[in-house]
Parts: sequence; C-alpha cells; structure tokens
Amino acid sequence: MEATPIDNTFEDPGQRAPLVLNHNDFTSVTTDICRASESPRPPRAWYIAFAISAALASLFFLLIFYLFITGVGIWGNHSPTMWGFPIVNFVFWIGIGHAGTLISAILFLFRQKWRTAINRFAEAMTIFAVVCAGTFPVIHVGRVWVVYWLFPIPNQMELWPQFRSPLLWDVFAVSTYFTVSLLFWYVGMIPDLATFRDRAATKTRAIIYGLLALGWTGSNRHWHRYERAYLLLAALATPLVLSVHSVVSFDFAVAQLPGWHSTIFPPYFVAGAIFGGFAMVVTLAVPSRQLWGLKDFITMRHLENMNKIILLTGSIVGYAYVSEFFIAWYSGATYEGFAFINRAFGQHAWAYWLMLFCNVVAPQLFWFKRFRRSIPVMYFVVMCVNVGMWFERFVIVISLEQDFLPSSWGYFAPTWVDLMMLVGSMGLFLMLFLLFIRYLPVIAMAELKAVMPQADPHTSGEHDTPAGQNREVV
Amino acid sequence: MGDSALSAGTSDGFGLLAEFETPAQIMRAARAVHDAGYVEWDCHTPFPVHGLDKAMGVKPTILPVLVFFCGLMGVSLGFLLQWFTNAASIEAWFFGIVRGYEYMISGKPMMSLPAWIPVMFETTVLFSALATVGLMLVFNGLPRLYHPLFKSKRFARVTDDRFFLVIEARDPKFDRAASLSLLETLNPISIELVES
Amino acid sequence: MSVGASTVREDRLGALAPRLFLGGGILGVAGLGSSVLIGAVGGAWDRLLFSYLAAFIFVLTVSLGALWFTLVQHMTRAGWSVVLRRLSEAIATNLTWLGVAFAPIAILVMLGKGELLYHWADTSVYDAGSEHFDEVLTKKHVFFTPTFWTIRAVFYFAVWGAATRMLFGQSVAQDASGDVSHTHRMQRYSPLFMVLYALTQTLAVVDWVMSLEPLWFSTMYGVYFFAASLCGFFSVLCVSLWLLQRSGRMQDVVTREHYQDAGKLLFGFGIVFWAYIAFSQYMLIWYANIPEETGWYITRQLGGWRMVSALLLFGHFCVPFVLLISKHTKRAKGVLAVIAGWMLFMHYIDVYWLVMPRIPADLLAQSETYRQLIDSIQESGNDLGFHPHVLDLTCLVGLGGVAIALTARRLGGCALIPIGDPRLSESITFENM
Repeated sequence: MEATPIDNTFEDPGQRAPLVLNHNDFTSVTTDICRASESPRPPRAWYIAFAISAALASLFFLLIFYLFITGVGIWGNHSPTMWGFPIVNFVFWIGIGHAGTLISAILFLFRQKWRTAINRFAEAMTIFAVVCAGTFPVIHVGRVWVVYWLFPIPNQMELWPQFRSPLLWDVFAVSTYFTVSLLFWYVGMIPDLATFRDRAATKTRAIIYGLLALGWTGSNRHWHRYERAYLLLAALATPLVLSVHSVVSFDFAVAQLPGWHSTIFPPYFVAGAIFGGFAMVVTLAVPSRQLWGLKDFITMRHLENMNKIILLTGSIVGYAYVSEFFIAWYSGATYEGFAFINRAFGQHAWAYWLMLFCNVVAPQLFWFKRFRRSIPVMYFVVMCVNVGMWFERFVIVISLEQDFLPSSWGYFAPTWVDLMMLVGSMGLFLMLFLLFIRYLPVIAMAELKAVMPQADPHTSGEHDTPAGQNREVV
Repeated sequence: MGDSALSAGTSDGFGLLAEFETPAQIMRAARAVHDAGYVEWDCHTPFPVHGLDKAMGVKPTILPVLVFFCGLMGVSLGFLLQWFTNAASIEAWFFGIVRGYEYMISGKPMMSLPAWIPVMFETTVLFSALATVGLMLVFNGLPRLYHPLFKSKRFARVTDDRFFLVIEARDPKFDRAASLSLLETLNPISIELVES
Repeated sequence: MSVGASTVREDRLGALAPRLFLGGGILGVAGLGSSVLIGAVGGAWDRLLFSYLAAFIFVLTVSLGALWFTLVQHMTRAGWSVVLRRLSEAIATNLTWLGVAFAPIAILVMLGKGELLYHWADTSVYDAGSEHFDEVLTKKHVFFTPTFWTIRAVFYFAVWGAATRMLFGQSVAQDASGDVSHTHRMQRYSPLFMVLYALTQTLAVVDWVMSLEPLWFSTMYGVYFFAASLCGFFSVLCVSLWLLQRSGRMQDVVTREHYQDAGKLLFGFGIVFWAYIAFSQYMLIWYANIPEETGWYITRQLGGWRMVSALLLFGHFCVPFVLLISKHTKRAKGVLAVIAGWMLFMHYIDVYWLVMPRIPADLLAQSETYRQLIDSIQESGNDLGFHPHVLDLTCLVGLGGVAIALTARRLGGCALIPIGDPRLSESITFENM
C-alpha cells in the first residue's frame, strides 16, 4: 500500500518527521504487525530460506559431531597460529550481537524513538548471534564433556578456574550478556505476547502465547514498574555491552604480542562490533520488511539512520586503524612496527586490504544522502561490512603467524571443516532468525504505538499540541 | 450500553469496567476516579500512557533502590569468589567443605584486583538484571495466568487499541450505582460489570 | 498554551557581561602577571611552563568538550538541548584565543628552548656523539622537529577556530532571522568538523601532553582525553546553568529536566566512560607489564603521586558515581551544581596528574632496571614533580580568568539561548520519561 509515498527522510527542523507511515490508528498497527505471525502460511521465500538455512545448520551440527569424535586437529589451528577460525568466528558473532543491545539499550537511553521499529528483531539477532558465538569456544576446549570446568563449581579435584585469565572473563562476560539480553528481549516482548494471546484464533496459540505473556493485563500499575524495570535493564545493558566486547578485546590486548597489545582495543572493538552488528541489522531488515510488508514501520528513515550509524562507527574503526599504525611507528618498537608492516605487505596482505576496503572505504559512500537511501547501494555496503568485519578479526588473529622469533613463523591455512563450520554457523543463525520472524512479534507493537503522535494524551483535547511533540532525534 | 444488565443481579462481581477510545479520555477518567477517592482501581492500556501515573497518583516504585543493593551484593560476591578461589587457601562451607587455592600466575600479586574487575563487573550486572526482572514480576504479581478481566470479551482489545478503567468491587468506596454514574459521566464507549 | 519562540523572554547576560568581563579580566591579568613575576623572581621558569601547560590543557579540554557537544547536537538533530546550546557554543569559542595562549610555548619550542618542557626538544638527544643520545627518539625525530610540530598546532587551532566560528556565527545569525537554513547549514557541516575534531584532538594531546614523556605511548590516549574533556565541559555546563539561574536568568526555559539530562551526561561520559577508558588503559598496561609502558604508571604510583592516583580513583569515579546514580541528585539543581563543581576540580587534578609527573632524566639514565630506578628515586629524595607550587594556582586563575572574561564578552553580545532555533519550543517543553 504505497499510494502516497511520504519522504520521511527529510526533516523540517521545526517539525519531527513521522516514524510510522500510512497508519492513522493503533488498530491497523496491531493488525499489520500481527499478520506475519497469524497468516496460516508464510510466503514461499520464507520456506526456501528456511530450507537452505536449516540444511546449513544441520551441516554445522554434523561437523560438530565429527569434531567431537575426531578432535580439534581437523581444524587449521596449528602452531604458531593456535587460535584460528574458532576465535575469529566467536568474535565475529559476538560482535554482531552488539548492535541489538545498542539499539535496545543505548538508543533507548538516548531517547531515539525510531528504535521502536527495529529493536525487537535486532535483539532477537543478538540472542541468536550469541548462541552462534558461544558455540565456538565451547567446542574449541577439546574435551567438551568437561566444559563445566570453566565455571567455579566445587569439585573433587579441588581445582578452581583461574580468574586472572581473560579467557575466563569471557565465560562470565558472555554468559552474563546472553542472560541479560534474553531477559531484556523477553521483558520487552511480554506486552506483545499478550496481544498475540488476545488475538489468538486457535486454542494452541492461545495457550502458548498465554503462558508466555504471564497474564499481562496492561494494568497501569504494572506498566509503571515495567517501565522502570525496562529503563534499569537498559542502563545495565549499556555498560554491559561495552564490557563484553572490551573483555573480548582483552583476550588479545593483555598479551605482549605485537599487533595485539594495544590500549585502544577495548573501545575499538566495541565500535567495530556495533559497526558489524548494524550492517547485519540492515542485511536482515531489508528483506524482512519486504517479505512481511513492514515498509510502513521500517521506513527509509530507519534505514537511513542505521546507515548513518554505520558511517559513524565505521569511521571510529578507521580512526582506530590509523592510531594503531601511527603508534606502531611512534613507539619506535621494532616488533610493533614489523607487525603492522607485515599486516599490510606480508603473506596475508590481501586480507588486510580487503578489510580496509570493506570497513573504511565502502562505508564512505554513506556520506551521500542519495546512497544512504538507495537499497542496492546500501546492500552492497552492508555486505562489504559483513565481510570486512570478519576479516578484521582474521587479520588480528593471524598476527600469531609471525611473532618475535622468525624460526617459529608459519602460515595459517584453514581446512574445509573451518570453512564449512563458518557457513554452518550462518545457517544456524538464519534458521533461528527465520523461526523468530514467523512465530514471535517482529516489531515492538506496544513501544511503537507509544511513539505515535496519537499516543500523546494531550493531542485530543485538554491542551494544544506544542510543536515537535512527536519528538525524535537523529 | 446495557444498563439493565448492569443493574441486574445482586453480586458486584469483580468490579465495573469502562472502555475508552483515546489516551486523552483515559487520562481524564483517571483523574476523575482518583479525585473521587477510589483506591482499588486501575487503568489498562495497550502501551504506557505518558502522564497517567501522575493522574492516577501511582507512587514511584522502590525497585531501583532494591536493584542498587542487589548490584552491591553482586560486586561483593564477585570479589569474594575470586579472592577465595584464587588467592586464599582456606576452607569454607558451601554445601560441603570447599577449599580455596593460591594460584601463582605470571608473577602477578595474589590480590590481582585489576584482573578481577571484569568479573566483578559482570556479576554486578548479572545480579542487578536478575533482580530487576524478578522483583518487577513479584511486585506486579506476575505470572498470573488467570484474571477476572479476561472474562470480558471487550477487554481483549486492551492489548490492541482500547483503554480501560476498572473500579474493583472490593474498594471501600465502591457502590454499584454511584460508581456507575461516575463512570457514565466520563463518556466511555461501554461499561460492563465483570464477574469475579 | 503553546510555548513558541515568540513568547520566550529574551534572556541576556546584560549588566552581568561587563562585570564578568572586568572581573575575569582582572583575575586573568593578575594571575598571569604574578605567574611571570614569580617565575622571573624565583627563577622557576621550568615550573612556570609546567603549571602554565596544565592550566592551558585544562581550559582547552573544557572548550573542546563544548565543541564536541555542539557538533553532536547538530549531528543528531537534537531537540531537548537547544536551550543549553548557546552556552556550549560560547564556551567553545575559547578555542580561538587559546591559540594565542599557546603561542608562548610554540615560540619557546621554535626558539630552540623547548627542552625546558619537552625532552624531545633537546637537540642533543638526536646527536649520536652526545651523552644524551637516545636511539629510539631519533626514529621519531621527523615528528618532533619544531617547525613541523608548530605547523601542526597552527592547523589544529585553524580547524577549531573555523568550527566554533561557524557554529557560533550561524546560531547567532539565526537569533535575528529565525531562518531554518542556518540549522540546515550547521547540520550539514557538523559531521565534517567531527571527523576533523577526532583527528586534531587526538594529535594535539599526543603533541602537547603525551610527548612530555616522548618514549611512552598508548593508542588509547586520545580517547582518554576525549572522556576527560567531556567531564570538564559537562561540569562547567551544570555549574554555569545553576549560577545563571541564580542570577535570575533563563528562569522560564531551563527546567529540572535539562539539569537531569546534563547530569546524566556528566555521569555517563564524565564519570563512567572516563573510568572505563582509564581502567582499560591501566589494566592492559599493568597486565602486559612491558617496561616501555609501565614506567608511566610507576611514576604516578610513587611518592605524592600515589595519593593523587588514589584521589582520582575515589574522587573522580567511586564517590561521584554513587552520588550521581540517583535521579534525585541530578534533578536537585544545587546538589548537581555542587557535585559538578567537584568534578571540575577533579578534572583539573586529572590534567595535573597527566602533565606534571616526571622522572629526572639523569636518574633514568643511571638505572638499568625499574627496581634500581625506584630505589635511586627514593634515595635521592626526588619528588618526581610532585610539589604543589603557587604557580599552579596563579596560572590556573590567570587562564581561567581570561576564559571567563572572554566567554562573558562573547555571550554578552547575544541571547543566552538560541531564540531563533526552530526546535526551541521542543526543548522548553521537554520532559524526561
């Protein structure tokens, strides 16, 4: 229904542009968003995508089984590159998740009302990305059946985990991150699950969504505590998301290895994670809004805003690349200088330049409004970023190839299992995401309604509307 | 509006439920019911209406204060856990006797506080977040899968596009006729008596 | 009742402007004059330079914070902050005269006397025959040639001057015309200036502060200063809002909601983000324990600096964190202003802690290991630059006075809020959730 295309990417400074197009009331918002889940059959494209991703996910599980019965020798991890694809994939996926928390928590604290259209599925993406991320370190431990040793559980050997190790910080950071993200996602979803319950056409739906909605009645006394709790969760998730990728960066930065030990790593990793995560949000949002007919909610303005954030975080990443290079020279340290020259001109130089092109050059297109608003250009850029951010971690990890001692240098080459597991994890991620958009509320309806102009109790009577009531920043 | 149905029968049921169409109407209604001195009443809305708390006279929740203390607990436990397992060779009781161990790692001091901060931070956030959600649900009396209001067919739209105000029969000021006429002055779309 | 721009009483500094100008001017002249006098009479020229640099960096970071804030408001098309923006625009204009304030240091370096302040300016360190020869420093000699160094400084001030002039000029022009084209122009150029800002701010602090210890390096340094400058600026913002309101100005337009948001920014960036950056930098250097890096922190953990480091930990993070976490303290105007005043003081201590500590070169040259260095420092009774001097105070009062005088003069010529901004009414009616 695009009879009157409204350009909400332009904003007259005195008047906030609309966030929801072609909708005048709450009723149609509910109906249109619930349609995706309530229609008896999803579009054909969904089935095709699901079949492919489920096949890849099965491949992933098969390979994990193969790994368990064979051992980690089937990977390309060999001395000196003891950390190969598994850690690259781990950091890549955990980074993807960060955009979800940024949208749900940080943009919430900054009162960015446009987040309401995209926060739900960005949060879902966070959960699934963390699932994929968590898999890699767990299967990397070798003897997976004793993986519980990672946790401080009293045992007959009287051994404890070693808390001065950043790898153990990871265990705590990632499990906390997963728990809090799940809580945040679920708490945000309760009112919408109640909507599903109240609209349920079948008994099964009524029971399942009824259980999940916990008996939500929309009581204002409940809303009061709910909003407070949501704000607190956002305030907790914001430093949490910074801490998680900082801790991930500590895995590298506490070492003395040139190219790894750099004090800017924590904020640089966080910015990179958000950068890569937003690229993934756009990657998923563009087809989803097409498939489920959500263009009135996830408008061009939303995409443009995300593209601006991609440009911003991409620039921060570029800043970090430059300062690393500069300080490597400025430090006057031979090994540090060598590590960076080697990155740019050594045996994996192609990966470095690919990363630089994808992460720094390609997003520069977003300086132009025309490109920020063009779906093909935007898709090209976000695909570049998806690739580039994977290679960023790859470039960092393979600094291991050539450390202080030339006699121990080596060349890292992945095996087919490495490559297939990366593809397989993408399948798992997409499969979970497709299940989500089929069975759960894709857009936070309650939050979306609350930012519509007619949600303001002052619009209909009592007071005149002050200009700019439909407040929204960015 | 089926006034006859509303006045029939002797039981007051759960209470009177009035339905409104806009946030402005529920706001006005909430003010009126609050001013009339009712206590056991509530508004039900599809989304939090800005300013309704004030109109209803809802007191600020104590939740943030409790969460702060849970966070303090998290940071202390995070510290104790790391100190006990990595820097103290003493025995303690934790569902049985457990013994701490003094790890000497890369020449770092036993009390490696900088290295412990990340985990202390994570336990703080974990405890605070679990407390936030847990206490929010407890204070709200959720999960509560059955509620008298679910009997009302119209109430199903509370999660969609309608705004409801309910005055419960257990309110000391509740009087079916008086409460009904108060609600009627507020111009609702419908009023019904909800069975208990 | 619609609160439009037309109904807002146009607040001005009015009679306060000349008084602040005069008062600040007197403080400035007295402070700087007495500094020079004490320096000359006491022969404490090098101390004067260090004190002056600390005061200069303090005023600079506050102004840079203001510039960043203004740019971000335009980049995000922010509405809530419009009533605060004129203050930040005016504080940022200090960046123009700070170029002049920097001139003495630049001239000194150009004249070849820079070694009083910067070890790298000592030409003998590049001379292979000299006893001061430092092989590592020769590698970065290009970067530390006085001419290149000065050209860079000129470039930074040119960028900052252009940015603040554009932002202040467009905003004041809009007061009269109310034309939205000014808003569009500021929104268009802000991202470009932001890129330049990141570049110049980072290089400036590397050039002027990090290079005080020319062998030490940290990639986080620019970010640390960024966090510190936000702490400085948001503190100044909260304090000056409160003082202006107490003088009867901005009564109708600035509400508790704005205080709460300014408080949140001070809390979020000036306290928590600062602590995050400071901790990350410290922890990584502590953990890796590489001699090239740890020296910088060891200096700051010896003698009197130990107490200053502890003061920063508790006074810049722990205590204000607990105080400001509640929304009630952020909404109580006076309480917030007092905490912000404390944070401003802490920001100065932070700058002082970054600029002042130094290990005497001869002790450094004698020692083979850190253990030896620490021992020889303790034997010699060297205070590592920790000896609070009256010059610290006079320089701070001097440059602070000039900053107050010139900000007041700048603000005196226009309204205290951007009355022509199309989002003004949104800002006035703004409420937190």
